[in-house]
Amino acid sequence: MDRADIAKTLKSPANWGQKYSLWAVYFCTGCGVIEIPPVITSRWDAERFGVLPMATPRQGNLFLITGYVSLKTMGAIIRTYDQMPDPKYVVGFGSCPVNGGMYWDSYNTIKHLDKYLPVDGWIAGCMPRPEAIFVAVVHLWQMIDKGMATGYQKYKENYEYYERNQREILPHLPKFAGEKTEAVGQTL
Amino acid sequence: MMREQEIKKAIEKSTDGATVTVLKKGRILVTVPAAAAVSTLICLKAVGFEHLSAISCTDWLEQGELELVYHLWSYQDKVHLMLKTRLARENPQTVTAIPVFPHTQTYEREIHEMYGVHFEGNPRLTPFLLEHWEGPPPMRRDFQMRDYVKEKFGVEERIS
Repeated sequence: MDRADIAKTLKSPANWGQKYSLWAVYFCTGCGVIEIPPVITSRWDAERFGVLPMATPRQGNLFLITGYVSLKTMGAIIRTYDQMPDPKYVVGFGSCPVNGGMYWDSYNTIKHLDKYLPVDGWIAGCMPRPEAIFVAVVHLWQMIDKGMATGYQKYKENYEYYERNQREILPHLPKFAGEKTEAVGQTL
Repeated sequence: MMREQEIKKAIEKSTDGATVTVLKKGRILVTVPAAAAVSTLICLKAVGFEHLSAISCTDWLEQGELELVYHLWSYQDKVHLMLKTRLARENPQTVTAIPVFPHTQTYEREIHEMYGVHFEGNPRLTPFLLEHWEGPPPMRRDFQMRDYVKEKFGVEERIS
């Protein structure tokens, strides 16, 4: 470590710890996930940046929304995000979470991810290159250092807003896993 | 082309009202009335078309018809056969092909959801891919997709 960083690290050791242990939830939402295997494996090796995939949301703190989000997936994303422990960071990956992308007039995909979840950063492009993920990760480090990556706090503070938007598109989503809702003959 | 002509003769012999066209080597197009579709499938399966790859549906809005296409493949002859049949667009109904090809249940379920075609005898025409859908079948061409999207997801004000 650089000697100049010691003072900063001692000022906020928690931030320093969180910065270099980003565990990305292994959740594949759309076509963008095709970029994830090369990122986490030998070609680009995300472990250099302290990013590793984690199979369960209860041990992860970085949520990459890779690609378009259909309504059915949105329910699972909200459920997954709620399970993640604080602090947690959401990064929208690709054009589709930003504004719908090429699915801007599709009947079954959401258009603006930040209406339903607090998003800390976006990676634009269709597809973004794996390098873009590292640019985003470095940018996220800076945000954590400066205390700007506070999406999870905003989610708590403005939960009414997020919940209202979530209910608007998913009126049948249970408030918590296992809650009984009025079934409409939906069988999987 | 020899084998294709033999298949053509076999279909024409067994099915009334079937129009068979050999498009090129390894490609046959069969058009039948909707009532004869399943019996033609039985006949085709006996001729060697033992693989049904997919059922697709097309909405011909101008003619007021929906077109079902059964894609069949014969491993022994290396022939791709398209069995086309048309249904009325209003209240479309036909008979299920489950007794002939059991896996058509999923295709029929999807077409039922996306186009509103009712397959008589399919026991599982329940919602499939859409999440608590309440609108009209979305893949029909008269479905006003942009109006629906504006209503469902809201319009973002343009920042100028």
